[in-house]
Amino acid sequence: MVSLYGSLGRVPMNEEEKLTRFEGEMLPLMNDAYNLARWLVQNEQDARDMVQEAYLRAFKFFSGVRGETGRAWLLRIVRNVCYDHLKKRKVYSSDAELENIPSDSSPESSLQVKSEVAAVRSALASLPEDFRTVLVLREMEELSYREISEITQVPIGTVMSRLARGRQQLAEALKQMREKDLV
Amino acid sequence: MTCDELHEHLDPFFDNELGLAEAQKIQQHLEQCSGCGEVYAARLAVRQALQKPEVRFTSPDDLRDQIQAELSKQVRPAHQATWRLPSFQFPTWLMPSLAGAAAVLAVWFGSNVFLTAKRSSNDLLGTVTAQLVSDHMRSLLPEHLIDVVSTDQHTVKPWFAGKLSFSPPVYDLSDHGFKLIGGRLDYLGNQEIAAVVFQIRQHYINLFVWPKTEYTYLPDTLVQKEGFNMYGWEANGLTMCAVTDAAPDALKAFVDLQKQKHAETE
Repeated sequence: MVSLYGSLGRVPMNEEEKLTRFEGEMLPLMNDAYNLARWLVQNEQDARDMVQEAYLRAFKFFSGVRGETGRAWLLRIVRNVCYDHLKKRKVYSSDAELENIPSDSSPESSLQVKSEVAAVRSALASLPEDFRTVLVLREMEELSYREISEITQVPIGTVMSRLARGRQQLAEALKQMREKDLV
Repeated sequence: MTCDELHEHLDPFFDNELGLAEAQKIQQHLEQCSGCGEVYAARLAVRQALQKPEVRFTSPDDLRDQIQAELSKQVRPAHQATWRLPSFQFPTWLMPSLAGAAAVLAVWFGSNVFLTAKRSSNDLLGTVTAQLVSDHMRSLLPEHLIDVVSTDQHTVKPWFAGKLSFSPPVYDLSDHGFKLIGGRLDYLGNQEIAAVVFQIRQHYINLFVWPKTEYTYLPDTLVQKEGFNMYGWEANGLTMCAVTDAAPDALKAFVDLQKQKHAETE
């Protein structure tokens, strides 16, 4: 059967160019996007869905020429997609989050390092979502206060205070875990 | 600088977000005050813990491929300029009606293209469009056009609600010359779909609506088939296809209004 479109509907080149540029700029950031999503939604399958949704959303709004801010821009979309999802899932209570401690096995061979990593992961997972988000963005993604403020849509002062409290709480949680292990 | 002042600025100092002058004051205080030095050391321990590469999660290997495939779908439909089906697997729900649709059209046009068609994805899409065209033609037979006669969207929409598992958008476009005249249940394969019926001057437009499936992707473009104009698109999990004998411009205007209304109400 002949193509139904025949000569109709030739796409302008810029759609393809847009895809090429988008993939060139955004696909290398997938690990960052996944890490953030994984820490926000706290399980692997949801994180995959969130990253895919974020990339499709990002592509729709992508206009090229983003340079340095590209990563913060993508992470903001990831964060928004995750928030929409969390709102639907209603896991804002800290109880629900505590049950969702990440269980991914680490490839590390040393048992000690392994348990250390597991301890850090579950300590971070146990933090309230606001604190967890800023810690992931600052310590893992090494973003500036301004970028974190744009991603989380709160003032820089709030970013600062969440970081301070998040760090204190994480230190406390880690300390408690170590003490429990020693008993 | 007091210890309280230091605590206030410790995190921005730690994150290199302070100006040089302030940072120097903090630095001096930290060198002299062991209590604050411990607080600083605790920050550092947290950072070192979080920055272990093993603590991060790494994107699964297949996710990149999956996303690239999805992205290229955003571009490819129009690029290939065909009504595309993503899979070569023949949708079983279309099987029973394929012969029927083909026979109707074969008689209608004295052609048997559908019987000789190979099962490629284009042909499957052809089956979808052929069915919609035949649905449209059948609707033009006397007494076939409308099951619920109403120019009121608030009558037509609830009528569908009682009969279908999805809710087709029903908008009153009479201000723009597209008069809503009613609704009807129709079929695509053996699936019940909605047909919202509009009239522009002496022409009818059937707007077919059904839940999006992987077999019935319609690219967002005008198509001419068997003397009818068709325009398919997707919105909010629904696939829509308007079929009419009205002119392409009129159809395009109609589709644009539908999309606009849809965007306004979602």
